[in-house]
Amino acid sequence: MQAGDELEPLVIESVPTEAMKTVAALLHDPNPIHFDVETVKALGMGDRPVNQGPNNMGYLVAMLGRAAGGRERIRRLRVRFLGNVFAGDRVVARGRVESVEERDGQRVADVEVWLERGDDDRVMAGTATILLD
Amino acid sequence: MPISVEELEALKGRSFPGGTYTIEPYRHWLMNDAVGDAPTTSGPASPMEIYYGAMGGLGLSLDELFAWAGATAADGPMFGEAEIEQRRPLRVGETYAVRGGITDVVRKEGRRAGVFDIVTFRLELVEPGGEVAGVSTNSFVFPRRD
Repeated sequence: MQAGDELEPLVIESVPTEAMKTVAALLHDPNPIHFDVETVKALGMGDRPVNQGPNNMGYLVAMLGRAAGGRERIRRLRVRFLGNVFAGDRVVARGRVESVEERDGQRVADVEVWLERGDDDRVMAGTATILLD
Repeated sequence: MPISVEELEALKGRSFPGGTYTIEPYRHWLMNDAVGDAPTTSGPASPMEIYYGAMGGLGLSLDELFAWAGATAADGPMFGEAEIEQRRPLRVGETYAVRGGITDVVRKEGRRAGVFDIVTFRLELVEPGGEVAGVSTNSFVFPRRD
């Protein structure tokens, strides 16, 4: 792995509503925009449930874990939330290596990461550090 | 009336009640399955558990956390930024102590967004031996409408 390398993207062809319902329960998140279409409509947010932010982070974590050779090798992930993802959206988690260096006796890569919704609409962006060996 | 700047400033440094969080195997399976990651029930845990553990062990519900900031879910609080730091590999089945509090508050005004507050909080997941395994730092944005 070296600077400029693209990580293998993680593609979710259609974000499932069922996953949002599961995560609402796991997180004790009472916000109905994640599971109740009628509330989403009433708020003028369209007609599809809104994905949880942590799910959007989770796509990036899944991509990073595969690239690093294990989820325990993800050292850090920092993201900004830029937009919503809705049920049925196609999303792609992407990453590009910015640098590879020795740090505290370990070889690590700093990676620019982002989540695309549809055609290059970035709904999340940030940086990550993964352990290489 | 929105929360005053003085009340907002008073939140800085306030500690959460805290608690514990166990990475339950079945919950770990469900969480990973929801995002297309390997749904495992043993071994290394997803670092997303740092966020789940922080929110699950801070000792407040989301509604109570919003109330600290003088808001409710109906006010439309949003995620601003989030960071997870895995200092030591998390393990499925392990129980962690959770501790932390509010580290920063700031009031801003945007031309389109109007007045809004950003509340940042930081929580640690601590192993039974006392080592910090994970750190979760999050900022919520609270729109302030009269």
